[in-house]
Amino acid sequence: MLGSLAGESVLRRYRAPLGGGFDEMIDGDGRMRDHWHGFGSSLDSLTPQEFAGRWEDAQKVLHANGVSYNLHSDPRGAYRPWKLDPIPFLVAQEDGDRLAKGLVQRARLLEAILRDLYGPRRLLLEGVLPAEVVFGNPAFLRACHGISPPTGRFLHMLAVDVGRGPDGQFWALGDRTQVPNGAGYALENRIILSRMLPEAFGECNVQRLALFFRTFRDMLRSLAPHHRDNPRIVLLSPGPKHETYFEHAYLARYLGYTLAEGADLTVRDNHVYLKFLDGLQPVDVILRRLRDESCDPLEFHSSSFAGIPGLVQAVRARNVAIANALGCGLAESPAFLPYLGAVSRHLFGEDLMLPTMPSYWCGEAKQREKVLASLDCMVVKAAFSRVRSKPIFGIHLSEESKRKLSDQIRANPSAYVGQQYLPLSQAPVLTDRGIEPRPILVRSFLCASEKDFFLMPGGLTRFAQSPESMLVSVQEGGGSKDTWVLSRNSVSTFSLLKPAHANVEITRGGADLPSRSADHLFWLGRYVERTEGLIRLLRGIVVRLIEKPSEGEAPETAVLFRAARLLAEGVTANNLPDPADPEAEVRSLAFDRDRVGSLAFNLASIGRAASTVRDRVSMDMWRVIASLETPMGASDPTEEITLGDVLDVLNRGVITLAAFAGLAGESMTRGHGWRFLDIGRGVERAMHLIVLIRACLRHTTQYEPAVLEAMLEIADSQMTYRRRYLNTLDAAAVLDLLLADESNPRSLISQFVRLRLDVDHLPNGQAGTLLSPERRLALAFLSKVQLADIAQLAKADSRGKRWQLDALLEWLEAELPKLSEAISQLYLSHLQVSRHLAGN
Amino acid sequence: MMYDIRHVTTYRYTASVTLCQNIAHLSPRNSPRQTVLKRDLWVRPDPVILDVHTDFFGNTAHFFSVQEPHRELTVAATHRVELRGSEPPPLASTMAWEDAAEYLRRTKTPEALDAFQYAFDTNLTARRPQWLEYAAPSFTPGRPIGEACRDLMGRIYSEFVYDPRATTVSTPLLDMFAAKRGVCQDFAHLMLATLRSLGLAARYVSGYLETAPPPGKARLVGADASHAWLQVYFPEQGWFDFDPTNNAVASERLLLLAWGRDYDDVSPLKGVILGGGTHTVDVAVDVIAATGNGGDLDFEV
Repeated sequence: MLGSLAGESVLRRYRAPLGGGFDEMIDGDGRMRDHWHGFGSSLDSLTPQEFAGRWEDAQKVLHANGVSYNLHSDPRGAYRPWKLDPIPFLVAQEDGDRLAKGLVQRARLLEAILRDLYGPRRLLLEGVLPAEVVFGNPAFLRACHGISPPTGRFLHMLAVDVGRGPDGQFWALGDRTQVPNGAGYALENRIILSRMLPEAFGECNVQRLALFFRTFRDMLRSLAPHHRDNPRIVLLSPGPKHETYFEHAYLARYLGYTLAEGADLTVRDNHVYLKFLDGLQPVDVILRRLRDESCDPLEFHSSSFAGIPGLVQAVRARNVAIANALGCGLAESPAFLPYLGAVSRHLFGEDLMLPTMPSYWCGEAKQREKVLASLDCMVVKAAFSRVRSKPIFGIHLSEESKRKLSDQIRANPSAYVGQQYLPLSQAPVLTDRGIEPRPILVRSFLCASEKDFFLMPGGLTRFAQSPESMLVSVQEGGGSKDTWVLSRNSVSTFSLLKPAHANVEITRGGADLPSRSADHLFWLGRYVERTEGLIRLLRGIVVRLIEKPSEGEAPETAVLFRAARLLAEGVTANNLPDPADPEAEVRSLAFDRDRVGSLAFNLASIGRAASTVRDRVSMDMWRVIASLETPMGASDPTEEITLGDVLDVLNRGVITLAAFAGLAGESMTRGHGWRFLDIGRGVERAMHLIVLIRACLRHTTQYEPAVLEAMLEIADSQMTYRRRYLNTLDAAAVLDLLLADESNPRSLISQFVRLRLDVDHLPNGQAGTLLSPERRLALAFLSKVQLADIAQLAKADSRGKRWQLDALLEWLEAELPKLSEAISQLYLSHLQVSRHLAGN
Repeated sequence: MMYDIRHVTTYRYTASVTLCQNIAHLSPRNSPRQTVLKRDLWVRPDPVILDVHTDFFGNTAHFFSVQEPHRELTVAATHRVELRGSEPPPLASTMAWEDAAEYLRRTKTPEALDAFQYAFDTNLTARRPQWLEYAAPSFTPGRPIGEACRDLMGRIYSEFVYDPRATTVSTPLLDMFAAKRGVCQDFAHLMLATLRSLGLAARYVSGYLETAPPPGKARLVGADASHAWLQVYFPEQGWFDFDPTNNAVASERLLLLAWGRDYDDVSPLKGVILGGGTHTVDVAVDVIAATGNGGDLDFEV
């Protein structure tokens, strides 16, 4: 891809399709359009190699930031990296101004429709809208009727998909009025591209996005019914499985809101609260990314509990504001599209400045006939947006499928809308084969300002996967572009990354940790440490396999294999046979994603745990986690890689994990979040040591020195041992160093010291005179090891068994999980799930 | 005629419930045939929140929230209602059913528009080709809507068996239709779905039926039950009761609680709980003809 650019400026190689539709960069005479010149010449000053180099760096940043999009079509539910094109979509100032007028008018219109339909419903009485599109529409939520939202606004942010037809005319294709996804991706695209092409970005006078987000943030603040000085605003997300979860976490961090899921929130006394470790904190404003009907399982009787039972009542009691107001999904129903023009004339006496792509609702006979008669040039969509379905392109259908579709429409006409198909304009996109035209579609965003609506000068431009493709969809393999709305004048620059409001209360409390985040941080700590333990064991094995390839020469390898499998598969696995093919077993333990407990499996678990607490993990930490997955997660288990390569990967893994530990130790404040992460790590490292020591030393063997050597190496304690004992390998000395030496941070006792400290610092830790169960356990572990007589533990009976050591480790192995359970019980138990009462 | 009604629902849990939020449609509404003289809703343990609002359909709805740990929840509604006799509906002098459907589509008066919303299918009365087929023998061309409804109700009454064990609130209507067994809610939903598939407006009614004890026997306390039937809109004439469970039109013993599009809009009690293990529910309903002033029930729980 990059080689193909050599020797020529990137844009100059672009050839617009002949006789095709409208091209965004090249006019009908094959000349570059005026507003592209600045960008074009700025790019000319970069050699193709420079451009390629910068693009590579930008993609690395994109990956390191973990920008992703969750694909429903992927059976593994994997996150797919976000696809961004290095060529922005340029919008001329005149076009930008015209679009702004049209889109603001459209936003006012949708707002007015919602206000009417959730109020007096004059549009129905006066026959402007057919009653069917409201009464027969599942998105019309009767429970929301008559609730007037705070400040009287229904829509706080909305999105409109805009496309350009062959004659250069802009059209609105559809609206998003309940969860207008994409603004966060637009922001991330902007940050990446403005850093990749700072010269072009500066010279082109690109309008900035920050003002839009500041307006949005100010507006959300103004909604708060209580605590108006410093309201708590949460972003309510359906969770990591949602396709745009990345954006939820990203926006929450950028806007400074707590990222919450339904289970984090509860309604008490008609107020919404966030469940924190040390109690409930009131919530004033909810920026929701949940669809209407999922928001309150009680009121809407939904089977999903992604929402908060009692939320509608809290809204009715005016104790919480929701953006957008509940019920807003009604206005995005495609069945409304044919009527928007008429409603605008009726309400405002204005035609639509930005026309809607001609659309026909099949519930009305005339419109239905139009759709059925010209199915070839129609895109057929579900009339009511509650059911998300793919649009059907009539032109792609066989005669038989067309007949079938016609029958379906006739059987249930009001469920369908036909929208005229128009080829979309094309823009240059960098592909594997160089720069090529692709159809594009822009999602524009508007937010409510004090009295009106404010258009984001930018947006999320998406392009289709292939030049012929009609469906522009990221879900279907397309990609995205940054959208540069150009200005002839210089643009105002300020950043939202500094506080807009001065009265911030100084606080040092680390208490603002939602219980669910605590749970995920605890597991993140466990997975990270479990991974490190496994890497160290595998490294010990690989080193021995490389050095002594023939059988029998490194007898301790078998013991290490047993420890590795015990660690990977859980401590109950007994009498494990020695692996028949040690190399294959190493590869499987390292790279087999489908093997429970393997390294690859644990890495996936780290990724999942980290993704659920993205708002709690620093950017650097996230990068470390992302880089962890690259060398190991990406390896193909079937591919034959040499043991040397495996060793290399494992060595890098150890270093990366050290970076994680370093960041956790040096850069995280010692709040509750850090405590939970640290408890997870302490528990897991203790378990690792228990398993290692037990597997290696419960029986004496004639090759014990080799085993002791391996243990020291795996527990990273070789240096200390050498300094103390030189080359004499003695079981009691090794046990002392790994079990009972508090000065060795990798010893078992150090883990128990650390756990005791952590547990003491948890909230409620000081309350009462009786020891709580988790404190009692932490103390018990510590004193048991403190009181242990190392010389006795190292003694074996006549048959070579170390009874006392085995008994101690067996007890610890059984008791340690109880610490996790006690902590869950105390701090995480209110993460119970809600359910419906059986009806009567 | 005056009636005292009490409707007591008790949930018992095997584990403690820490939070319970509910919506009750347990307060009778007024209608041309019925005047509510007294109403009361009593919840134990004491709810922290007990709010009243009028829902979209004009019913009184209670929202309440119990926030102390509990293993038993009791909701008791007591009302006194005065019923008036009514004229038998003018079944034969109603509009042809096709005209009634057309009238609903065309007429933009507030009353007609309000009626029109009940002409659309819902989750519990979802659109199926079977409903049109089932309607056909009763809805012959040009037949007055009142007569056609009377006929449809008679067929449901004679073809379906009342069997409380056959269905639950979550049994799909099509399953009930195939098994030909169900309870009052099922019969009401079937008739609603059938009428709506023709574009006619009909609403689900929740309420009670006064049951007289067998001659010579004393009335058993708690022997009654919630009842459900439907009302059909005859253009320019209004709404009329049809009770397919008892094959009755405009019965004088129907006491109205609330109406909506289907059961989900007006279920007497729905709730979401946190905790609770498994639970059982007991419902006891009494409808007693009140004699003068002395009929007030002494009520203890």
